Amino acid sequence: AARGRTFWTMPLEDELTAAAAKGDAAQVRSLLGAGAQVNGVNCFGRTALQVMMMGSTRVAQILLDHGADPNVADGTTGATPLHDAARSGFLDTVRLLVRFTADPNARDQADRRPVDLARDECHTDVVAFLESL
Amino acid sequence: MKMAHGTSVQYEPVAEIGGGAYGTVYKARDTESGKFVALKSVRVQTDQNGLPVSTVREVALLRRLEQFDHPNVVRLMDVCATQRSEQETKVTLVFEHVDQDLKTYLEKAPAPGLPPGRIKDLMRQLLCGLAFLHSNRVMHRDLKPENILVTSQGQVKLADFGLARIYSCHMVLTPVVVTLWYRPPEVLLQSSYATPVDIWSTGCIFAEMFRRKPLFCGESEVDQLGKIIKVIGLPSEEEWPTNVTLSRKNFPSASPSPITDFVPEINESGAQLLLKMLTFDPTKRISALKALEHPYFQN
Repeated sequence: AARGRTFWTMPLEDELTAAAAKGDAAQVRSLLGAGAQVNGVNCFGRTALQVMMMGSTRVAQILLDHGADPNVADGTTGATPLHDAARSGFLDTVRLLVRFTADPNARDQADRRPVDLARDECHTDVVAFLESL
Repeated sequence: MKMAHGTSVQYEPVAEIGGGAYGTVYKARDTESGKFVALKSVRVQTDQNGLPVSTVREVALLRRLEQFDHPNVVRLMDVCATQRSEQETKVTLVFEHVDQDLKTYLEKAPAPGLPPGRIKDLMRQLLCGLAFLHSNRVMHRDLKPENILVTSQGQVKLADFGLARIYSCHMVLTPVVVTLWYRPPEVLLQSSYATPVDIWSTGCIFAEMFRRKPLFCGESEVDQLGKIIKVIGLPSEEEWPTNVTLSRKNFPSASPSPITDFVPEINESGAQLLLKMLTFDPTKRISALKALEHPYFQN
């Protein structure tokens, strides 16, 4: 009885994005080891970094260490992973993305920067960090 | 219930995050707010009268819960029904998505683990959410660290509650691997299913917050029960449910071990509460409301 499931029938990139979205760091690591492309897109056209569980700094670290592009924007809303991490308030992930050259001045289609979203949600620690850059 | 026609694109899936027995769960983006949501769909059989009464009733119950805006359960934002064919309708529940679960939260905690005060706060919130669901006659049935969500501000929100009945009534059963680790004896023995089920799971999770690894990691129903009995002891003949296939005789007699052997960091009142949750007989197990009044939570 394992926790989680294995998606035998999916392409590796679909498995990778699913594992990243579930915050399953061990699975993310093993899929990358098995040849999943870190910047490959799933059947919805998204990369693992775009859909990862934003609170899982460990998953973010593994993906970024493997060369995940932190500046890929959502095709519909223009949000980057930094927008989503800032909006959900996970400071550790925000810091990590910035360290791996995520652009703090990226604007989504509503012309908003990550710091604007963090401010909307009252994540004062994230606002302070992004303003200090 | 809203009936969707054509291609409504307010919710755009970005990744599949669960599947199997229930239908599929997607992480999706609400293109109006820009925020992530969780889409949970279930396919239900329909006849000339439309959706089954039981489905409509369960969905109505979830919507009624929503009116209370309880801080410790995820928001149900929307419900859509899409007719797939004459015989089948897809019901999609749109929930708030929280980008961190308790499993991730526990893994993140630096050694030696979460401070005792933080554990107490998480437990209080978890029990508040459960007491709310139970007082509305909703049971969770599958509580585990993966569906207990923790926001970046440390707020606990229960997810996936109330779905079990919607699913179990109508889904086409597909074999799927589900974890046994948080299942109480009465479910392993297939004897009864009521709100005490969730309290057992909560006890397992309480222990895990200190241990940072699960308390009972069984590989089969029998193995899971064996692991439980090794810790809490073999219950008396009277406590063993009648009319179950698995007899008490299958298990060696064992007296209870001190719970602090397994959860050394817990304090005395915490250990007392934990034992009241990990009580074999569901009728003697503490309720969520009573647990909140336990001395562990005083001061």
